[in-house]
Amino acid sequence: MNKMVRVITAFLLFFALSGASAMASDTIKIGVQAPTTGQYANEGQGIDQGVRLIAEQINAKGGILGKQIEIFTCDDEGTAMKAAICAKDLVNKGVIGVIGSYTSTCAEAAQATYYRAGVLQTTDGTSDTLTEHGYWTFFRNSFPNSAEATYTANYFINVKKYKRIAIVTDFSSYSTGLGSSVEAEIKKLGGNIVYQGKIKAGAQNYTPVLTKIKSKHPDVIYFSGYYNEAGLLRSQQMQLGVTADFYGSNACDNPDYIKLAGKFAEGSYLINVPSPELLPYDLAINFLKDYRAKYKMDPPSIWTLLNIDGMRAFLYAIEQTGTTDTKKLAEYLHTIKDYPGITGPIQWAPDGNRTGSAHQTYEYQADGSKKIIYPVVK
Amino acid sequence: MDIFFQQLVNGLTIGSIFALVALGYTMVYGIMKLINFAHGDLVAMSAFVGLSVYDQFLGGTTNSLVAVLTIFAATGVIIAMAGIILERVAYRPLRNAPRLSAVVSALGASLVIQNGIMLIWGPRMRFFPADILPATTWNIGGVYISFIQVVILVVSLLIMAGLIFFIDKTRVGAAIRATSIDHDASRLMGIDVNRIITLIFVIGTFLGAVGGLFIGLYYRGINFNMGWNYGLYAFVAAIIGGIGNIPGAMVGGMLLGIFKAFIAGYVSSTWADAFTFTLLIAILVVRPTGIMGERVAEKV
Amino acid sequence: MKKSPNKKIGYTVFILAMLLFPALANPKWLAIGSTFLIFSVVGLSEDIILGKGGMFNMGHALFFGIGAYTAAIANHTFGIPILYAIPLAILIPALCGIILAGPIIHLRGDYLLVATIGFNIVFLQLVENDIFGITGGPNGIFGLDTPTFLGFDLASPTAIYYLGVAVLLLTFYVMANLDKSKAGRALHYLRLDDLAANSIGINTRGYKIFAFGLGAGIAGLAGVLLAIQYSAVSPEAFNFMQSVLFFSIVLVGGSSLPGILMGTFVMFVLPEIFRDFATWRYFIFGFAMILAMILRPEGIFPARFGKIPDYFKKG
Repeated sequence: MNKMVRVITAFLLFFALSGASAMASDTIKIGVQAPTTGQYANEGQGIDQGVRLIAEQINAKGGILGKQIEIFTCDDEGTAMKAAICAKDLVNKGVIGVIGSYTSTCAEAAQATYYRAGVLQTTDGTSDTLTEHGYWTFFRNSFPNSAEATYTANYFINVKKYKRIAIVTDFSSYSTGLGSSVEAEIKKLGGNIVYQGKIKAGAQNYTPVLTKIKSKHPDVIYFSGYYNEAGLLRSQQMQLGVTADFYGSNACDNPDYIKLAGKFAEGSYLINVPSPELLPYDLAINFLKDYRAKYKMDPPSIWTLLNIDGMRAFLYAIEQTGTTDTKKLAEYLHTIKDYPGITGPIQWAPDGNRTGSAHQTYEYQADGSKKIIYPVVK
Repeated sequence: MDIFFQQLVNGLTIGSIFALVALGYTMVYGIMKLINFAHGDLVAMSAFVGLSVYDQFLGGTTNSLVAVLTIFAATGVIIAMAGIILERVAYRPLRNAPRLSAVVSALGASLVIQNGIMLIWGPRMRFFPADILPATTWNIGGVYISFIQVVILVVSLLIMAGLIFFIDKTRVGAAIRATSIDHDASRLMGIDVNRIITLIFVIGTFLGAVGGLFIGLYYRGINFNMGWNYGLYAFVAAIIGGIGNIPGAMVGGMLLGIFKAFIAGYVSSTWADAFTFTLLIAILVVRPTGIMGERVAEKV
Repeated sequence: MKKSPNKKIGYTVFILAMLLFPALANPKWLAIGSTFLIFSVVGLSEDIILGKGGMFNMGHALFFGIGAYTAAIANHTFGIPILYAIPLAILIPALCGIILAGPIIHLRGDYLLVATIGFNIVFLQLVENDIFGITGGPNGIFGLDTPTFLGFDLASPTAIYYLGVAVLLLTFYVMANLDKSKAGRALHYLRLDDLAANSIGINTRGYKIFAFGLGAGIAGLAGVLLAIQYSAVSPEAFNFMQSVLFFSIVLVGGSSLPGILMGTFVMFVLPEIFRDFATWRYFIFGFAMILAMILRPEGIFPARFGKIPDYFKKG
């Protein structure tokens, strides 16, 4: 009958065990908050592997300020609630900076905790709301949705002169956020949107929506969403004989898109900042080489590299200022100009946005490679 | 009008897959009164097994009927064995336990299979090659039908017809029907109930494997966690048709596929799930045991 | 319920341990502890419907979510302090429970299960599509006001934890009274045999709907706590998988107070403890669920109906 006692003993034991941590050490602790399992496991593991690669390289050279870098990874599984727990966990482990997460939602759910604890955060999340809170701890290593939306609308209306535009999103916050920004920008330029609908990520069968789109005779289908759905949309679009141009947004940039779309990838378009293999910088070429050597695969996408850039900037700031005081590091990070990153020069606006958008439009070629078609390279 | 027929074709294709998977749910339920929540994950697993079979033994073979048949046969055997193991490990020890214990066990099995797939094949999406089957598409008066769609429809209908014949006309089928009514009475009549249950798992998971391979061949991208999505809709299809009712599962699957296509095509893609599930609840309120009525003996 | 002395000691030690826990725990485990308390309350409310009433409800995250969203919307859209929204966040889920259960309550077993899954999925689509522009869409609502009570900051992790303890004790009290009440007995009988209960004049339909209303109201209250703890609500915290979690908590733990606590511990806290196993964790966890059911088919701490004196029972 003393089952209650047993329950309690179990509780106390577990919590006592878990409570024993947080000892002072002389390493520089960096956190990784990434979805290493779940729907975006692929991207999450890429970020984690990339961060560990950089840490390994620097540690081999003797570390920073004479200290070794120690990496703590927390799996947020791509969900906001787990992200909130991760944030507390990483803060608790005494990290001074956090790399990630992959999705805007997870980054936003963790943001306030890092801010309150004075922990620096760098994420590839593109949602505009991330920089609206005015947290000094926040540094976006990608470019916000609003920048991509302006670029996309201008390109569609003023360059390509599309007359009938169909917009498709999924139900995620990134997708609907970018989709409605693009819609607003297109309307501002007087564009004509003939269809707007949502698909459910993971459902795989998008023929009903595409058939509906077919009945609207659009000259372009724009999808703001992730690569898995984009690949299926493109291939099903062509199988249904819908001849409109197909554009994917930044999160469609993944080698899996081509595998899914198959031969239909040719002639479809992508709007994004440059992808890993198209980066002209030596830093990028070397990083890709090292990554392949260590993990026997390519990084899943540009998002890994953007996050790595955020991390590199943090480490650079520690090196330059000779401190791990995050307040001073943040002040320094806001002053850097054109710090050479893997993904191009890095600098931050006061609100934590990375400045200097580099969006480009690519056309997929028959061999699966991408060709920049706008802005026109002189 | 071409749009209407196109949506019908869209709906029938996905509906056939729902129906194949739904049969697995409904047959197991009919015999064991158990919702086999791990069924969807076996479907996902079969797509991965099929891909591995292709990669290992048939790499590079294209447009070959032999290759396709080999994939289906090998995968069917492997997944049927997985089904037998599933029943032995997770369900047989619970046969006399409260019904809901088996449901939790099924949920646990689902986690095991799903994460097992991730551990074996990795978290990344894997791809069926595009050219296992001919990529021909016919344009019939504005309605586009691809070769693989025809294959899915025809094969599904043949399998289902065969299944109905097997259940209704053969001696083993009669034993299955008897077992679904009363385990004890069937045992008294000399039916080996354990063997019937094993057989049901073999047939059910085999049908699921066919569905999983169709998913791989048609959509080509396969993910370790895709089982839940197909499993949920197939389960709904089984409920719509009346759970335990084999023709009901087929009709339910087809109806669900067509309904989903028409909702997205004519009402709103944004609200597709809300409409689908509202309709499901409405059907249940009006017909509490599904459209075709259930075929489950209820002990009072 | 007739309490044996051991049991009394057990409860006292448990409550003391709960009260002392924040002194031992670091912030991460304090956060997990608070969520544990919240999920325990939801588990208990699901127990009223599933364990005591025997109705297969696999959509319980719906009521949890309605409570959380009610509080969040009241705070975010209408500027009502979150604590004042509590009555509303109990009442609205309870009403939803009653209204939604009404037409489906006659469904048997698995049909009820799928209908409740359906309600949960419809709810999720409503909030994800930002219905009436107040649910914040797929992101949910972030940055709720942190509540203060008598000048005390309730947003501090410790305060939230003790708020959770208070609500859990309150729920204990409700559950203990329910066991003793006419309604509790009626639920017990109709779970064992619906037809017989009906034929001896128990209004089975009425009591079933009552169970849904009560369970939904308590889940709604837990939802408010979740909204306070994270200063946020987000659709995926109330999705179908979450309902599966609450469903499993009741069945793994067993339909009793210690059972639900144990169930919540096993289903929610253990995976957190084994987080370091990363990719292997749910694989092993799945086996553990199967094993738990094989070893303890009625849950770790099965229900014992309180009216039967111990000496009448076997063992």
